[in-house]
Amino acid sequence: MLKEKYQAEIDEILSRYPVKRSALLPLLYMAQREEGYVTEAAMQEIAGILKLTPPQVYETATFYTMLNLKPVGKFHLQVCKSLMCALVGSDTVIGWIGAKLGIKPGETTTDKLFTLSIVECLAACGTGPMMQVNDDYYERLTEEKLDRILADLRQTGTSSLKTGPFMWPEPAKPGA
Amino acid sequence: MPKYEPILLKNMLQPGYAGSLADYERAGGYQAVRKVLGKLSPAEVTGIVMKSGLRGRGGAGFPTGVKWGFLPKDYQGPRYLCCNADESEPGTFKDRQLIERDPHQLLEGMLIACYAIGAASSYIYIRGEFVLGAKILETAIKEARAAGYVGKNIFGSNTSIDIWVHRGAGAYICGEETALLESLEGKRGLPRVKPPFPATHGLYNKPTVVNNVETLANLPHIVNRGAEWFASIGSPPKSTGTRVFCVSGHVKQPGNYEVPMGITFRELIYEHAGGMRGDKPLKAFIPGGASAPFLTPDHLDVKLDFESVALAGSMLGSGGVTVMEEGTDMVWAALRLMEFFYHESCGKCSPCREGSSWLVQIMRRIVNKRGRMEDLETLTDLCKNIAGRTVCAFGDAEVSPILSTLKHWRQEYVDLIQAAETANLIRPEPVGTKH
Amino acid sequence: MPDQKPETVRLTIDGTTVAVPKGTLVIEAARRIGVMIPHFCYHPKLKPDANCRMCLVEIEKMPKLQTACSTPVAEGMAVRTATTTVDDAHKSVLEFILANHPLDCPVCDQGGKCDLQDFSHQYTPTTSRFTETKRIFQKEYFSPLIETQMNRCVQCLRCVRYCDEIMDVKALAPVGRGTMTEIKHFGPHELDCEFCGGCIQICPVGAITSRLSMYEYRPWMLKRADTICTFCGDGCRITVQTKDNELIEVNSAHGAGRNNGDLCARGFFGFHASSHAGRLTHPLIRREGALVETTWEEALEFVAAQALRLRLAHGPDAFGGLIASRCTNEDLYVFQKFMRQVIGTNRIDSSARYGHLNGIQALRRVQGTHRWTIAFEDIVAANALLLVGTNITETSPITGLKVKEAVKKRQASLVTMETLRPAVDTLSNIANLATQHFQTHPEQFGNTVLGLLKAVVEGHLVDASLAQQSPAFVQRVTEALHGISWETLETATGQPRTQWAETAQLLAKAKRLVVLVGNGILRQPDAEATTTNLLDLLILLGKLDQPGCGLGPLAEENNDQGAVEMGAVAEFIPGPMPLNDQPARDRITSVWREELPRSPGASLPEMLAAADKGALKALFVIGENPVGTLPAAARAKEALAKLELLVCQELFLTETAAMAHVVLPACSYMEKDGTFTNSEGHVQAVRQAINPIGDSRPDWEMVSAISVLMGAPLEYGDAREILKEIRDVIPGYGLLGPTPTPPKVDQSIVTRYLDEGSALDISARYAVHQVVKPADAPFTLVLTQSLFHSGKLSTRSKGLLELQKDGVLSINPSDAATLGLTDGATVRVSNTGGAITTTVKLRERVPAGVLWFPEHFDGEAKELAEWTIDPRTQIPYFKRAHVSLAKVS
Ligand SMILES: Cc1cc2nc3c(=O)[nH]c(=O)nc-3n(C[C@H](O)[C@H](O)[C@H](O)COP(=O)(O)O)c2cc1C
Ligand code: SF4
Ligand code: FES
Repeated sequence: MLKEKYQAEIDEILSRYPVKRSALLPLLYMAQREEGYVTEAAMQEIAGILKLTPPQVYETATFYTMLNLKPVGKFHLQVCKSLMCALVGSDTVIGWIGAKLGIKPGETTTDKLFTLSIVECLAACGTGPMMQVNDDYYERLTEEKLDRILADLRQTGTSSLKTGPFMWPEPAKPGA
Repeated sequence: MPKYEPILLKNMLQPGYAGSLADYERAGGYQAVRKVLGKLSPAEVTGIVMKSGLRGRGGAGFPTGVKWGFLPKDYQGPRYLCCNADESEPGTFKDRQLIERDPHQLLEGMLIACYAIGAASSYIYIRGEFVLGAKILETAIKEARAAGYVGKNIFGSNTSIDIWVHRGAGAYICGEETALLESLEGKRGLPRVKPPFPATHGLYNKPTVVNNVETLANLPHIVNRGAEWFASIGSPPKSTGTRVFCVSGHVKQPGNYEVPMGITFRELIYEHAGGMRGDKPLKAFIPGGASAPFLTPDHLDVKLDFESVALAGSMLGSGGVTVMEEGTDMVWAALRLMEFFYHESCGKCSPCREGSSWLVQIMRRIVNKRGRMEDLETLTDLCKNIAGRTVCAFGDAEVSPILSTLKHWRQEYVDLIQAAETANLIRPEPVGTKH
Repeated sequence: MPDQKPETVRLTIDGTTVAVPKGTLVIEAARRIGVMIPHFCYHPKLKPDANCRMCLVEIEKMPKLQTACSTPVAEGMAVRTATTTVDDAHKSVLEFILANHPLDCPVCDQGGKCDLQDFSHQYTPTTSRFTETKRIFQKEYFSPLIETQMNRCVQCLRCVRYCDEIMDVKALAPVGRGTMTEIKHFGPHELDCEFCGGCIQICPVGAITSRLSMYEYRPWMLKRADTICTFCGDGCRITVQTKDNELIEVNSAHGAGRNNGDLCARGFFGFHASSHAGRLTHPLIRREGALVETTWEEALEFVAAQALRLRLAHGPDAFGGLIASRCTNEDLYVFQKFMRQVIGTNRIDSSARYGHLNGIQALRRVQGTHRWTIAFEDIVAANALLLVGTNITETSPITGLKVKEAVKKRQASLVTMETLRPAVDTLSNIANLATQHFQTHPEQFGNTVLGLLKAVVEGHLVDASLAQQSPAFVQRVTEALHGISWETLETATGQPRTQWAETAQLLAKAKRLVVLVGNGILRQPDAEATTTNLLDLLILLGKLDQPGCGLGPLAEENNDQGAVEMGAVAEFIPGPMPLNDQPARDRITSVWREELPRSPGASLPEMLAAADKGALKALFVIGENPVGTLPAAARAKEALAKLELLVCQELFLTETAAMAHVVLPACSYMEKDGTFTNSEGHVQAVRQAINPIGDSRPDWEMVSAISVLMGAPLEYGDAREILKEIRDVIPGYGLLGPTPTPPKVDQSIVTRYLDEGSALDISARYAVHQVVKPADAPFTLVLTQSLFHSGKLSTRSKGLLELQKDGVLSINPSDAATLGLTDGATVRVSNTGGAITTTVKLRERVPAGVLWFPEHFDGEAKELAEWTIDPRTQIPYFKRAHVSLAKVS
């Protein structure tokens, strides 16, 4: 139960909005943080907190791509495939990941470590190809970087190759 | 050193500048809002912004001061400011930089806007993927709150303004201002039917202004240096100030470049972004994000301002300039964007919902060499039937890649279809339903 | 009735000038002059959503086509709906909508009444350009009564919007995004909602259909009859659709009836009660202790002969008559006439006694009307609504919709005094919409109302002119209320005094104030006093006689109001007028050509007592089942067993009928003509939809046949003839217009009440009621009406049984936790009256300390109820009990 664990945080979230329903996305995020995905029980509980019906929570939850209604791997690799990244090789990156992890987009490795998703533009078009792993961006991907990232994730759960704040002002190397 | 004086990116270009409150104040931050609070009337602030000629940087380019002026003067209840940080237009990545590198600049801009429109609460609607950006903003707000810049009785005045970060959760359409409001209200991000406009019936049905991050970030500078100063930059009178253009694609140095409006695409691409990768000839570019129709090398000397780009048959949009070199498959490029629009169509209105799925299917067939000549007519027809008939501007946006590539590179479509014919790849398509 | 005059706007549509009220939508303005603009997502009941884009039109000076469904008219606007541009737009939008729509019309239940079919016919070429793969949704089980075919969905969201905007249920979720948006409930769960059928009715295509009639028909095969639903006092217009005398479907047309096309589960899914296999098809007569089939002749002659014999031997007052207020006015009228004229007794009563009579008596006493002075339209137009003791969604769902409309669409303030807590549930809860909610224990309604009166008086909100005209009344009331301390009220009710004060302000401010009173009051002791106090509230606020203001008791049965008006209760002759009202008697005598009996009437409890003592020898029962309904303490079974003649006219062999000497098979409302009078006093036509089941006959006809055999014929050709006679007896009865004309408050009666009448019992009415709870019975059990049933009749309806097939005990989760109960646990509920074993359901809406059990399945549970009879009004109460609860492992 979220309420028992996070009453103070829930109260703080509710205090930001004059209308309860506005807290829906923040609470869905909280649920996802807790379990890795939004469970049915969580949706029910959130409905209760916000005085909504469960279908109202459900309709909102299913609209947004970042809310997982099913479990995903520990590391959710989300590779941008929109045109701008595609121009600089995102399809290749997807191919690499597929080959290295043996999964197709939408699939999770059997050890439940990695899920591969193909996503639309993540606003890092100047530093493509790129991917987001859980909360972190990894930009200007190369095969060598990718290998290191996957190895780091496996070993330490994160990687120093993650980027941000915004990759600036260092300009891209000419020809990169 | 950049060729033009940067305004929005100025602080962050300083070595060691990390965007903290101390950094920002050292660079002269929070002076503008001090100048304004209690010293100028909200109407005077709006007047300054009107005079500056500042136009929205979110896509539509609507004059900011005029938008503020639409709020009902005599309305007693609450009003809201929403900062649109949804930045999801493919090809656009400037707001992320402004947020992650200089969050207080945005906050100060928001305080000024709130004061001008009489809003005591404001929300930054930031796309869910910007986890880092949201954290940075939260930290900045905390700093500002601790310093008494956000919250009750700012700078001892009787003005109170609160700022909250509200994360989206993955939906491009939530950048559309009314979908943003729906989403902020905890609903599905479906655009509302307009009128009524947010100015009268916005967040929680209250008068509301939605402004883009870059738009708001300009405000402290306008206040500090005056409307006349701002209006003299760029290509006045209609396109004043600088813009942060996001250059992506086949250039040597992709990235954000803040330049005055009115320079040419040639200058932006060849001087600032380092020219074409591998020095190949340029084949095509998108001047203002995925929603803007493609342009050709013939348009390289078009000026980067609202009117000139519109005249060239496209739009300045969000300032995302995507460059494609010779050899890029334009039908494929159009399909990529069409897939984006198909994925992001919210599904509210039939032309967009059904049209996007239909268009993407035809485009996939053509790219997969299973096209038919009559597809070209169908594509054009469908696009025309979507544009202008949808609830929001998404409909107009989604047809621009196909319409503009069909216009400029029709032969590539024809070649693909003929390849299909000559390879005798045409199999009869299943007609009708399976159920 | 609302009395504002709207501003008018003039515009032209296709060159024709039209003047419409400001705010009208272009699509509606066009409809007025016969221009039909095609549309899917628009529905006049719903807020425009303009999502289908089908209704695009050209409007002069606007660069783009506009959606007629969302554009309000403006002065001088020029609209064109028939240009080539518009036509192209319609064609193209339709092409989009059809792209993914399956062409399965031959197997679609909507075929023949489908908007998409109709518009396609009009706009589309015969071949489609869409040659891609169609979107296919996984077929999923949706619910036992409602079927979805999402492939057919055009995503207009009418269903979802209806469920939210009109019903406030919010059970339907558009799930996913883009073309793959589909209408679901919650995750993989089957639909759990109010089952109003609104989504089925409002879907423009065949995406949501009724499983009760799935694949059964094509619309053009069906015969239709417009009639009135029989499951509550709201009086909804329904259209019964039949095929070869079989009941296929019920629906209701937008714009028709008091319900304006809305229905509840009972109305929409409950119709099969009439064709239940257990219906009596032949007269039965008792032979050697057993009921056996017989002929009409034998049955009727037996009844007539016995009746004649008993009357000769014991006189007319050895007879009694009991009739259900489910019957038509014509049945009720003929029956009371039979009892009074043919038998010669006033000993007649009906189920209106159980509660509705309380409301009518209070209205008569204070304002001199026996009807509401308001209509549904006034509910919708109210500025403030006070709902007392009514879980209106479940008891009077359509009146509830009017309240929802007032609050949701017109921003009325709502005050609820209700036992149910405002909690979101699968059924809507009117308290969720309340500005002020008084969480009222079942035994605290009277005290809570007193608090409000006190707040009005002490908040100086008493109407100034009242204080001038009736200082004595105001002083009496003020003094009485001063005598009550806030502390006492606060302790008794648990409400803080501030809430009364705020509410009093809110009600005083409202120009149009409507008070609705439900079974939480009407079927509980002190009902008449509390209702009278609520009328005092209206008087004190100066609103009793103001336009749009008034008090409405909500009738439980479809013709409670008619039963009283027809004189089918102990204290009234038709009118309703008191038994001894000479002018009324004279008028009736002139029609009947015979004197009315002078002896006093007898209420149901009195008749039972008389039978038990052997003083009552014969009882005619029509559609009532005292043995099955009343607790053992009423001694109905013992009393009836002593009768020498018990005649029952019934649909089913009920517990009472099983004891009868003769049982006559009666027609249900589906099989007869007549009229019903609803809560608001609107008399509406009931029309035959199917031929009588078996040999059944309308109730009045059987009564008439007996009268003939008894030598005092009450003969009528048909129901209309009876109505004609009713009109002679009650002038103007049954104005069958679309809206009722409510009576006005009778000022002379009000004055008399203020000056004298009110004084009689003021000290009793203005006293805090102390509630004593037995220590060993900590819970208050309430036997309630539930949305999915109506009396016991609906428990014969296969559709409704799918929704609720037995009684479960609703309990607050905190109480459940204390007792270690989870959903479905078995419990023993007991008190001195008896004990039952049942299962529990945890529901937030039931407050702690209270248990909720549906009366429709009360069986043994009714034995727990306390049986009390108001000595003055002879109204019996048996819906409440103090009980203890224990887990059964
Ligand atoms: C489909 C669609 C997506 C949009 N996405 C964004 C966005 O991501 N960020 C943004 O600032 N404006 C976006 N807009 C524009 C907004 O609707 C709105 O015009 C803008 O936020 C107003 O701010 P401005 O006046 O400061 O530009 C979008 C518009 C449409 C139609
Ligand atoms: S199911 Fe019917 S009413 Fe609901 S959105 Fe689909 S077409 Fe409209
Ligand atoms: S009826 Fe107007 S958009 Fe659907």
